[in-house]
Amino acid sequence: MANSIERFSTSERVLHWVVTASFFTLLLSGLGLYSRLFTGYFNLFGGGGNASLVHKVAGVIFFFSSLAMFLLHLRDVASFDRDDREWFAKGGGYLSRGENHFNIGKYNPGQKLFALFVGIATLVLGITGIFIWSPLSFSRWVVQLSLLLHGTMFVGAVMFVVVHVYLATIGNPGTIGAMLYGFVGRRWAKVHHPKWYREVTDDNP
Amino acid sequence: MADNVNQAARKGFLVDTARCIGCRSCQVACKQWNKLDADKTANQGTFENPRDLTPALYNRIRFVESETGGTVNWQFVSERCMHCGEAGCMKVCPSPGALYRTKDGIVAYNKEKCISCKYCVSACPFNVPRYDSNDKVSKCHLCTDRVSGGMAPACSKACPTEALKFGNRNQLIAAAKAAKKTIYGLDSLGGLGVAYALEGPPEKYGLLANPQIPTAIFLWKDIIKPLGILGFWGSIGAMVLHYVTIGPKRIEEDVDNKGENHG
Repeated sequence: MANSIERFSTSERVLHWVVTASFFTLLLSGLGLYSRLFTGYFNLFGGGGNASLVHKVAGVIFFFSSLAMFLLHLRDVASFDRDDREWFAKGGGYLSRGENHFNIGKYNPGQKLFALFVGIATLVLGITGIFIWSPLSFSRWVVQLSLLLHGTMFVGAVMFVVVHVYLATIGNPGTIGAMLYGFVGRRWAKVHHPKWYREVTDDNP
Repeated sequence: MADNVNQAARKGFLVDTARCIGCRSCQVACKQWNKLDADKTANQGTFENPRDLTPALYNRIRFVESETGGTVNWQFVSERCMHCGEAGCMKVCPSPGALYRTKDGIVAYNKEKCISCKYCVSACPFNVPRYDSNDKVSKCHLCTDRVSGGMAPACSKACPTEALKFGNRNQLIAAAKAAKKTIYGLDSLGGLGVAYALEGPPEKYGLLANPQIPTAIFLWKDIIKPLGILGFWGSIGAMVLHYVTIGPKRIEEDVDNKGENHG
């Protein structure tokens, strides 16, 4: 493993895949509820009633696992330093083919924003989900607003996830290993997250 | 999704509030025809009874009490599903066939197809749908079973004063217009299947002056939904475009560790 550095521990990776699995279960079971255009997705679950039940169960799993993931990484993702601002100013180097070097820690500002969005979206989707789950127990306007926010956050989440999946796979070769078996290449770490690289390699010279 | 009502073929009510004597025969007839259980109610100091629609009460007479010159005035307002031309309930219902429009323009439902999501409760401009003990939608269906057999709905059949006139909606409205009545429900929400002849502003009868699909529901279905589909494909397209134009960030792994195994 001389050429590799551990990026995510086993528990971090398991938690991530629990969130992923429940997210896609929610996506597939929720599409039919979102619009009649997607009624066909109900068939995956054997009808709308089952899909809605699966949506509720997956929703609870997603809420707690995603919230846990967010809170466990809150310290790493909630602060932005001067290097992060430079990253923002240059679009993270994603807007040109030229070489860019940013002095980035364990997470770049794009990843931080994604984590913050997911945290907020989890809270909003979870809370509005409770109102939608039991609409007769709350005022009509609360449920109406919840349906709107739930749908809006869903759209936002799907769009962010498309970008997330792209950047973590084919957009940045060498990245996906971090989430599959926990390790990234030494050079990958040095280029993408130099500040983090120095921290972890100083600990283990 | 396509909720296109054939205006010429629409059947519905013209509720002539001035003719209503508050006898509530309509309530009883509805219960009898639709085999609905009685609800236990309590005296709350008014003759209005029950005080709200329930899963077992598809229609009721709302008593509007007002005082003018020391005397009490009663207005009787027949209340039920309005069978909107553009129905909020049908707009949000995710289960095909659970809420549907008949060829007569009636908003009917099939409890077996209802998936208990209760979106219709939130989307109804008039707060009409209720859920029964089996967690299924329940509301006035304008006696679809009677109407399809050429009969008038039970409530209208029982009405002794012709306050509840049933028939072709266009004809009912034309007749009411000819009689110089103020009509409620002419154009709002694609025209209400239950129109009213009023003698004053709708507010006086406790009716919404300008009924419409709740704003949040409209934004969800007509703004966020199309934008969301656009956003989804837009983000996929943007990623593909990024990959083929700017391309991925490739890292040469072998610069300082030649000969070693690649991680």
